[in-house]
Amino acid sequence: MFTAYKPSKGYDEYFSGSAEPREALQPLISSLGTLGIEELNRNHAAAGMLLKRLGATFRLNDSGDKGTERILPFDPLPRLIRTGEWQTLERGLIQRLEAIDLFLADVYGDQRILHDGVIPREDVESSQGWRPQLQGFKPPLGKWCHISGLDLIRDGAGTWRVLEDNLRCPSGVAYFLENRRVMKRMFPSLFSGRTVQPIDDYPSHLLQTLRELAPWTNQPKVVLLTPGVFNSAYFEHSYLAQQMGIQLVEGRDLVCEGDRVWMRSTAGLEAVDVIYRRIDDDFLDPAVFRSDSMLGVRGLMAAYAAGRVAIANAPGSGVADDKLIYAYVPEMIRYYLAEEPIIENVPTYLCSRADDRAYVLAHLKDLVVKSVAEAGGYGMLIGPHADQAEILEFAAKIEADPRNFIAQPTLDLSTVPSLSQGELYPCHVDLRPYVLRGKGAWVSPGGLTRVALRRGSLVVNSSQGGGCKDTWIVEDSPC
Amino acid sequence: MLSRVADSLYWINRNVERAENISRFVEVSEAMALDCPPGSAEPWLPLIDACGDRELFDTLYPQGTPEDVVRFLVKEPKNPSCIVNCIAIARENARQIREVITTEMWEQINDLHWTLQESDAFWQLQPQEQLREIRRACQLFYGVTDATLSRDLSWQFSRLGRLIERADKTTRILDVKYFLLLPSPEEVGGVLDELQWISLLRTAGAYQMFRQAQQQGITPRAVAAFLLLDPIFPRSVRYCLEGISKALGVIRSSAVPGPPDDLECLSGLMLASWSFVRIDDLIGQGLHEAIDHFQSDLNRLHGLIHDRYFVMPTQSPSESSSDLACVPA
Repeated sequence: MFTAYKPSKGYDEYFSGSAEPREALQPLISSLGTLGIEELNRNHAAAGMLLKRLGATFRLNDSGDKGTERILPFDPLPRLIRTGEWQTLERGLIQRLEAIDLFLADVYGDQRILHDGVIPREDVESSQGWRPQLQGFKPPLGKWCHISGLDLIRDGAGTWRVLEDNLRCPSGVAYFLENRRVMKRMFPSLFSGRTVQPIDDYPSHLLQTLRELAPWTNQPKVVLLTPGVFNSAYFEHSYLAQQMGIQLVEGRDLVCEGDRVWMRSTAGLEAVDVIYRRIDDDFLDPAVFRSDSMLGVRGLMAAYAAGRVAIANAPGSGVADDKLIYAYVPEMIRYYLAEEPIIENVPTYLCSRADDRAYVLAHLKDLVVKSVAEAGGYGMLIGPHADQAEILEFAAKIEADPRNFIAQPTLDLSTVPSLSQGELYPCHVDLRPYVLRGKGAWVSPGGLTRVALRRGSLVVNSSQGGGCKDTWIVEDSPC
Repeated sequence: MLSRVADSLYWINRNVERAENISRFVEVSEAMALDCPPGSAEPWLPLIDACGDRELFDTLYPQGTPEDVVRFLVKEPKNPSCIVNCIAIARENARQIREVITTEMWEQINDLHWTLQESDAFWQLQPQEQLREIRRACQLFYGVTDATLSRDLSWQFSRLGRLIERADKTTRILDVKYFLLLPSPEEVGGVLDELQWISLLRTAGAYQMFRQAQQQGITPRAVAAFLLLDPIFPRSVRYCLEGISKALGVIRSSAVPGPPDDLECLSGLMLASWSFVRIDDLIGQGLHEAIDHFQSDLNRLHGLIHDRYFVMPTQSPSESSSDLACVPA
């Protein structure tokens, strides 16, 4: 089955440089061989159909038209990570979020890290995620980031690195869970003879985490706040609410009165304790943030300040999600925890610094340049794939607003064999594990592996031809 | 329960019930038409009247051929009440409250929706087979609902939507066909075209149960009595009104008892006037007028339910009774 497969020149997760199967992969590769490429293709098509029938679909942002509803393309070849390696990553993720949380408490509190000059004040205060309204505020449990999804990648040498910290409303976890269900249903033979760490308890951990955020009651009322049915991640919102058995609400379903948040129900008004919000800070409360927001709840921030409602993640967390602040996270780990980062960053040039900027402008054709506030693969330049006009255009943008850009070397993201036009092709992948932090911390076993299904593409975002794979955490000694 | 959620549950069920009824109307007429002289639109146009969309139909299809009627009722995009649109509306409402309904219910309605939207194989089936599949898929949705959903408010609002739509369709089909089949209102009990009456009973989904209940043969009077007043047939008006009344009672039970409001008065009076009446009196006073009156009562009932439960409450807790906020949903 893999005879025609040519691993990429970077790090292939199935085969080593000499095209030998990696040790832990041998059993899976032989199961795949037994299955055969024809059946793989057939079940692949059936899996796509099943996802649609299960309703694992999203609508593109720009349209409410039913015709544009589609699934996130699903690739059937799983991605394997060995338990030992995973445990190190888990520790690294928890360490990183611990430091980010201390940073948030600090910048909205005493600002020691700014006074000590570890991070320039202007870099924090110029961030789009900075919310000065929250200065002096202490969230429940003293934690800010309760639900995070960090993006990890492996570089050309196979070394794991953090690419981005998603601390606002990281999405994709429903696909992570549904992919496993589909995988088990369509490809049961691939599971036989090995133990894959189960992931079905994610909703239980999520609910537990959310409930812990309301220490003032034994029976907290938890709701999930969605922008509504036209949001592209609506499937995930309804899926998570359903899995946890909590109510899915829109801003118009809630009302604030007497420093509490209430839900409008057929039996009158009912108090709400915890809001898992899937809308950005800007839209949460028109009285405090964007006054034109139709999605939020007027008075929500006052109730939050009065300590009568918990919001996950805490408003203001977005400042640490800024791609410029990202560059300082290793420093935060050293500063707050006096530890070395377990997972390194990708080397990053800050265009706000004159010498970095000069280097970036001189090497644009080798670098990836990103706008610090954009997500979804938008607002970015991939130097080696860009033509001269695009490079000049980006150079002008950087000169005009250096704070808004960072640059990183073009990484040879690791590859995993994936179905492309009916045959196996090495496609680039990243990984988004989900980290839950209530009283303790918990990391999902594995996460959403996103895969760039366009041949040669480095962009894994669903808006740009990306799909996803199931991720298996497997025992070190495969049977 | 959120008002918005109650509204969605109600409309999911009204639309599934509507689609199921229309599929049965058309399925029976397809079979009936094969017994009629070629080119005759006899069984077809009354279906449009029974669905209450005559004006739109005449605008879209001035020719009004049998094929036009079927296309209009099954998949004409401009007809909001065609089967494909009913299912799309039901599915969209279900999508908005997926966390409330069971996964099995969601899968059933979503599956039917995508079959109608995208399956070429489905639309290549024989017309009667298509309609049978749709009818069965709708009935399966009820079965799945019955077997998986807890009997809480979600259940009550679902039932309410289903029964109101059912009572509406039963009376409409009876009204349209009854007078078409009678040479004149004075000749009730006169000349009878057996086939036509069988077809009416089948269209209303009542043929077999009618036969079991009425051993002596088909008379217009017996058909009207069965569809309107039978106490145990689940599609009769009386049966539907009993269910509606019960559901409304359960939904209201959390509120403080007191004098009946407009909604309770209306549902109680409707139930009484269709339970304590004889078919001869109804026919004597004019069956068409009685059904017309029922239709307008049903519309008023819907309006009152809408105002009471689906429009979101705006009073703040300080304005409402102090302990109301503590009532579990």
